[in-house]
Amino acid sequence: MFYTSAMAWLILGTLLAGFVSFKLHAPDMFSDISFLTWGRVRPAHMNVMVYGWASMAGMGTAIWLMARLCRTVLRYPLLLVAGAGFWNLGVLLGVGGILLGDSTGYQWLEFPGYAAIVLFVAYTLIVSWAVLMFRFRRGEQIYITQWYLLGAFLWFPWLYAAGQLMLFVVPVQGVLQSAVGWWYANNLLFLWFGAIGLGTAYYMIPKVIGRPVYSYHLAAIGFWSYALFSSWTGMQRLVDGPFPAWMITASIAATILTIIPVATVGLNHHMTMQGYFPLMRYSPTLRFTVFGAMSYTVFSLLGVLISLRSVARYVNFTQASIAYSHLGLYAFFTMVIFGSMYYIVPRLIGREWRYASLIKLHFWASAYGIGLMTLMLLAGGFLQGADMENPSLAFSETTETVLPYLRGRSLAGILLTVSHFIFAYHFGLMLLGLGRQSTVPTFLNPVEAEGSEAHV
Amino acid sequence: MKGLAPLFLGIFGTFAFSWVGLTVIPNLQIGHLNPQMEEDGSDVYPQPQSGMVTRGARVYAANGCIYCHSQQVRADYAADDIERKWGDRRSAPRDYIFERPVFLGKMRMGQDIANIGARAPAEQENAPPGGAASPAASPTPQGGAPSPSVAPSGVTPSPSPAKAASPAPAAPPSGATASPSPAGSPATSLSPAGSPPAAAGSPAASPGSPAPKAPATPSPKAPPASPSPAAAANASPAAGAPWPVQTSGELPMYSAAWHHVHLFSPRSINVDSDMPSYRFLYQMRRISDAPSADALQLTGSDAPPEGWEVVPTFDAKCLVAYLMSLNQSHPLKEVRSAGPAAAPAQSSAAPSTSPAPAK
Repeated sequence: MFYTSAMAWLILGTLLAGFVSFKLHAPDMFSDISFLTWGRVRPAHMNVMVYGWASMAGMGTAIWLMARLCRTVLRYPLLLVAGAGFWNLGVLLGVGGILLGDSTGYQWLEFPGYAAIVLFVAYTLIVSWAVLMFRFRRGEQIYITQWYLLGAFLWFPWLYAAGQLMLFVVPVQGVLQSAVGWWYANNLLFLWFGAIGLGTAYYMIPKVIGRPVYSYHLAAIGFWSYALFSSWTGMQRLVDGPFPAWMITASIAATILTIIPVATVGLNHHMTMQGYFPLMRYSPTLRFTVFGAMSYTVFSLLGVLISLRSVARYVNFTQASIAYSHLGLYAFFTMVIFGSMYYIVPRLIGREWRYASLIKLHFWASAYGIGLMTLMLLAGGFLQGADMENPSLAFSETTETVLPYLRGRSLAGILLTVSHFIFAYHFGLMLLGLGRQSTVPTFLNPVEAEGSEAHV
Repeated sequence: MKGLAPLFLGIFGTFAFSWVGLTVIPNLQIGHLNPQMEEDGSDVYPQPQSGMVTRGARVYAANGCIYCHSQQVRADYAADDIERKWGDRRSAPRDYIFERPVFLGKMRMGQDIANIGARAPAEQENAPPGGAASPAASPTPQGGAPSPSVAPSGVTPSPSPAKAASPAPAAPPSGATASPSPAGSPATSLSPAGSPPAAAGSPAASPGSPAPKAPATPSPKAPPASPSPAAAANASPAAGAPWPVQTSGELPMYSAAWHHVHLFSPRSINVDSDMPSYRFLYQMRRISDAPSADALQLTGSDAPPEGWEVVPTFDAKCLVAYLMSLNQSHPLKEVRSAGPAAAPAQSSAAPSTSPAPAK
């Protein structure tokens, strides 16, 4: 249910993204049609991706993992179904609202009020399910993944409610709206998507290679430092903006401190994988998940880099911050979720993925696509920033500098679109029950023996 | 990890820490700022927005202008925003107290427009060479004089009484807000002269307190390097325009009429522009008897066929009113303006020198 909806949103979001990307260097396209103007399609794309695709798919994975790790059957499925229904309705309303010109104008929170309420109802249903499940869990031990998932499930409503209340119900004054907005956006990235993504990686990697996590203590350090530091980020996106300097400095410091969780998590995953890297050749899940986990490191380090004042001076208002968001939401989160879907869907449907070749294609198109996109945006962003800080250049020259890179980005976007269509097609086959009936999961390079390990 | 309690507490605790730290405490610190004013209550800044401006802000939000245009000027030590003449001082929290939403923005595929209203042509002030003398004293006579300046004001929503009547919710003064200072009050006419309570303050302020105000206003807008071309009757606004980039056609840059043409057809003004056009905010209609006063002055391929004209919708007018209201040129006590402009509260000679560091 969640996955199917998520797929639909993914495709829609991708198409919107293609639109946005092309329009940036072909600004006259469709300019006569109000609901297709760039300034509306862009937030529509972003919100579809964030709330439609990423949140939906993330919740799907999280729910499955929760049921697995609590070692119970899934209770109260009605709650979930209703939750998913409401969530879909909310996203639909929200995107429609944006396209019709009802956007609120707060980045990452563009959904108009009526959609936000529906989303919140949906979320309440889902989270109450999660808490119920937790009460029925068996076994004392709470696995690392559950920390992250529980955190995500509890952080999100607070975050969302705080964002909505402080911006719309009892709005704070002036620039604080921006502060709240970026605090929300970054926490959404870290504490919602990041937590689900990391939790999933903590499950999938050890599970697939069949060996315990390297160190529990490291994991605990990673989790708590993550919760503590990453929640303080956000203001570093507004370096030298009209705020008291301490707010921005605090966020920059917090961003730098996130190196600690990044290092511990990275080390933990790496040590777990140690000696098992060749498995990536066979297991699609592992391949996607490890790619995502590595991207997480890159994403965080890039975040540190572009938050430093001396760097932010150049890249603050450029495409580089778009690269940062894509790296987090796509290269890290989406790839992990892809991986988890390759793992979970067969277990739900009872069939295996049909074509190994399609999975491979999907992976490489996604990997190259996102890699190219990030590089293009980063390079373009840095050049743009350098030009902008050179007042002898006319402003339009700064945007012209970026144009070739934006074209490159569109190319990357095409790759991603291809990969998503492949995945959606494959997923559709699975839904229709056309998967392979086999006890052996689909491996990318089917070599006999090695596989059995992977199937745990 | 065992036991749920520590996990729950930890999860809540960490997040509460961040929530309090980054939203609640700042709210205590800067969440309840008041406008700044002189001791006698004059010279109030900033002023509440007028009805048209508020609506314009919604149009701004709905069409996602924020995704390419920021509205924040960084300090001179932090970036070259001021050198790019996007403002003459850094933005401060107080600048935004009446804005909702606040469009700080995070991307500059387009220029920063925190001061786009201040950049509007201020014919009156350019006129007296050197500008220093007494802009506040002699605005009105010059207001009507330079011909190009008349043209735009003719096109703006403001002047015709009929217009002022049509937006019922908008306070009448809002009409005045939209126009590039038809009456010629130095700068504040651009800033929201809107809502009644404050209205008393602002118009009064400009003529009433010339001394402290005069230096402030010209500095941002008066093209530093170009008192002379401007004085030369504004004949070629493009040449006189202090702001880089575009090579405007006929219209004075950043006048209301210019904004309308720019929104309708950005590339007719600057071929390199990557801004989408917002034609859906405009209406092409047959000229009934006489051409409308607010018809767009379009040329070339954009021009409507004979007998037709392109007029802005009410939304477009509000949007332009909003743009014209963006003006952070008023000095703030807590912010050091660039160069001598900070000191000048007293000396009226300052404005002529203040922009000097910019060049």
